[in-house]
Amino acid sequence: MIIIKTEDEIKKMREAGRITGVILQEVAMMIKPGVSTLKLNEYAEKRTQELGAKPAFKNYPHPSGLIRYPASICISINEEVVHGIPSREKIIKEGDIVSLDFGVVKNGYYGDSALTVGVEPLDERKRELIEVTEKALYKGIAVAKPGARLSDISNAVQTYVESHGFGIVRDFTGHGIGSSLHEEPQIPNFGPPGKGPILQERMTMAIEPMVTMGDWRVTIKSDGWTAVTVDGLPSAHFEHTIVIRNGEAEILTKVE
Amino acid sequence: MGRSDDFIQLKGTISEALPNATFRVKLETGHLILAHVSGRMRKNFIRLLPGDKVLVEISKYDPKKGRIIYRFSR
Repeated sequence: MIIIKTEDEIKKMREAGRITGVILQEVAMMIKPGVSTLKLNEYAEKRTQELGAKPAFKNYPHPSGLIRYPASICISINEEVVHGIPSREKIIKEGDIVSLDFGVVKNGYYGDSALTVGVEPLDERKRELIEVTEKALYKGIAVAKPGARLSDISNAVQTYVESHGFGIVRDFTGHGIGSSLHEEPQIPNFGPPGKGPILQERMTMAIEPMVTMGDWRVTIKSDGWTAVTVDGLPSAHFEHTIVIRNGEAEILTKVE
Repeated sequence: MGRSDDFIQLKGTISEALPNATFRVKLETGHLILAHVSGRMRKNFIRLLPGDKVLVEISKYDPKKGRIIYRFSR
């Protein structure tokens, strides 16, 4: 069941979204050669606390139930698609593309957002990959309107990505979001249009295309979290939390 | 054996030796699981004793059982 939020809930989600967006932007500014991904995690954790929120990803349970996500932010470099674990040994270097995925919970409601930054000097194809992924996210957001079907979003994203010769990851999806990080429905980034539930006013969801330069197939590393492309080619990731309101999608995790 | 991404690797300590090359292993996370010795370790006669630190490969679909794939030097 897709939960329709009340105005009050949307207000809380706007606050969580704003904090998520602000911290994500700040962390993105810190990306430069020589910085370890652990450092970015420490900063994100510190800022989350300062702004009176809690990190959403920390201690998120693994499907096996054996382990929990050890950090507050996911940092995935190059061939890592999503869920990269920050580490002291992982140092950002020139030419890398770095995906940050971050979320907070404030007053019981969640915000979730992601972006990808390239470290100069960047080769042209990688730059294009980042641009296409970001635009694909906005293509998806643009069709999220009352009356549209869920898979219209999926199709808009897939069509745009594949028209540029990139691969769209199938193994992970967007999701509903609200008083828990992942709610129904799952929002795949591929598929035919016109299927699935009809979108309504005051639904909130996180749309997150993950795009690869080559094959879309991914595998999980033995740490149980990090998803990497099978062919080792780089991947980019963008995400926003949105609410469908007054006939269109309003982005909750955007910062001006 | 399934796809390689269906397994996670965790460190643990042997807590008890059981029959048929199976062991009770206490994981770093505190979970107690049943693990058998991988074929490659048997082939190379890697002996295991209670107290040994080992690396265990666990299916995410049945997290109560695992396969011991490495013994750290004592």
